[in-house]
Amino acid sequence: MIETLKQIVEKALERLSDTVTAYLPPLLACLTILLAAYLIALLVRWLLNRIFKGTGLDRFLHQSGLTGVLGRPGRVRTTRLVSGTAYWAILILGFLTGLSAFNTALTTRMVETVVFMLPKLLTTAAILLAGGWLGQYLSRSTLIWACNEGLPAPRRISAAVRIVIIFVAIVVAAEHLNFARSVFLAAFVLLVGGAVLAASLALGLGARGAVQKYLLSEDTQPSEQPREPSILDHL
Amino acid sequence: MREGRLPADAVHAVERIQKADIVVGIPSYNNVRTIGHVVRAAQAGLAKYFPQYHALIVNSDGGSGDGTRDAVMAAQLDDAHLLMLATPLAPVHRLSVPYHGIPGKGSAFRMIFQLARDLEAKACAVVDSDLRSITPEWFDLLLRPVLYGNFDFVAPYYHRHKYDGTITNSIIYPLTRALYGQRVRQPIGGDFGVSARLLSRYLERNDWETDVARYGIDIWMTTIALAEGFRACQSFLGAKLHDAKDPGADLSAMLQQVVGSVFLLMDEYQGAWRARSGSEPVDLFGFRFDVGLDPIAVNTERMLTTFRRACEDLREIWVMALPKATMGAVQELGRQAEREPASFHIPDRLWAEIVIDFACAHKEMPLERTHLLRSLTPLYIARVASFVIETREMYAAQVEDRIEHLAQCFEELKPYLIARWNDKDGRVTPPSAAPEQPDKSTMEV
Repeated sequence: MIETLKQIVEKALERLSDTVTAYLPPLLACLTILLAAYLIALLVRWLLNRIFKGTGLDRFLHQSGLTGVLGRPGRVRTTRLVSGTAYWAILILGFLTGLSAFNTALTTRMVETVVFMLPKLLTTAAILLAGGWLGQYLSRSTLIWACNEGLPAPRRISAAVRIVIIFVAIVVAAEHLNFARSVFLAAFVLLVGGAVLAASLALGLGARGAVQKYLLSEDTQPSEQPREPSILDHL
Repeated sequence: MREGRLPADAVHAVERIQKADIVVGIPSYNNVRTIGHVVRAAQAGLAKYFPQYHALIVNSDGGSGDGTRDAVMAAQLDDAHLLMLATPLAPVHRLSVPYHGIPGKGSAFRMIFQLARDLEAKACAVVDSDLRSITPEWFDLLLRPVLYGNFDFVAPYYHRHKYDGTITNSIIYPLTRALYGQRVRQPIGGDFGVSARLLSRYLERNDWETDVARYGIDIWMTTIALAEGFRACQSFLGAKLHDAKDPGADLSAMLQQVVGSVFLLMDEYQGAWRARSGSEPVDLFGFRFDVGLDPIAVNTERMLTTFRRACEDLREIWVMALPKATMGAVQELGRQAEREPASFHIPDRLWAEIVIDFACAHKEMPLERTHLLRSLTPLYIARVASFVIETREMYAAQVEDRIEHLAQCFEELKPYLIARWNDKDGRVTPPSAAPEQPDKSTMEV
């Protein structure tokens, strides 16, 4: 009985020893890599903060209008944004390298997946950033146009333009990632269809009286009174 | 330099005529009602004042569909009704050619200048085709300073209605004067005399396919002449009366093209304007006389409504250009426009600061230029409304004093412009943020 118990304990200790022997070195290696990555990330962040402080990077992003996409103009500190991105990129890289030290099927698959997805993720981020920038640019153009033309609710029109463009960017990004393609596509079709239907109803209901009046008086009244020309010249 | 090619008709004309001492250019687009009169005035002017010169009248047309080109070729000068003291020795040729490229006045001018250069013209005059008040004397006044006075650039000087030429009066004249130190009263008048030397300089440039191709051409010509040190003068032409305009014409696009051209040229010629302070008068030729002008009705209520709404909607665009203090003052004006529209007033200093701030933002943010310039429209409309309200009871001379005061404000703010121009961190505060000083622009007249 005691012998059996002893054997079981010995086997358990042997398995523990095997496990420790198998996983401790990679774990230590992983922790070392993580520590090194953390230190490098800290160093790079500090260096980038020093290098970009006072350069024209903030100015460039301000001029290009990208600060408006990334946050409220004036609140985005480009130096911190760049150094923060580098910091997290190094940490993630360190984490992946650390995982690869275990050399198990699971960790290998995880690393491979991330490496395989990385270009796609970067492209998706670029698509979303471009969509955000374009949405902002065109919504501003619409806002100014609507305001100068005296249209009602210019800000709502402008917001609608922005939403549509950003939504299109999200659909393209999802398509690129093969992520919930049919859901986004269906939502996009529903949104566009709904917008067209809403516009048609609004126009139909809003202009019903005008159309009726026009149809009734088509034969008796001139179609449109020309606007009186002006002799005021701004130039 | 990439130069636009002359159309085949123009090339044949150059081969046939070979040489012309004077070229008169008339750009047109659907001006059948007035262009005949302009061509006849040009023919009479050339025959009467320059009979010894070979001359060519060129109509550069933008594809009119109303028979403008036919009207040009059909315009006949009835010599019997004119008192000519000199017999013309050479015939005045006429040519009507459609120009190619971007539709606009600038493209039309480019073709005229190319023809003038190819024909080795000594002087070239360009006049608008919608003028009702043009006379043969205009050509004498635009060409004589070039041919006999050794001037390179002759700008027009007119009597205009107090509400006419509001972009000129509120932005272009005061800003150009403050920048380049010369008081050219009508820098975008549209009727100019140009020497062969200056004409070659214009054709050398490679920015013809920008806003210069459209409404930007007039200020482009004037700025180059002033900034590059060409000899400039003005000629008094009398009244400027033109054909009625289409009220649906896009003011925003016009403002963008004209003001955008000024701002772009400010960047190019910063070396020229930074060194100059104050301003000096420019030679003015011609006998000055007073004229009666058509009345103009202006609806300020609608203008102020546009401005009020813009104060709510365009804030996010304006903050890109205007410092906090100026933005606050503009918002206060928006409230004033609602509270007491009858006494709405934009002080001259504040207006000058706004224009300067937009110029600096235009330089700082190249990708936002279109937005900035288009968003200036409601502010400009508010300024026009303020000017109309303020000068409703004023005579022409009093109105001119008001414009003079505005121009002085621009000159006084030049140090602010220079400081803001180089300010990358937004540290320069506008003078209006400083303790208040009494505003001369509200003086009683």
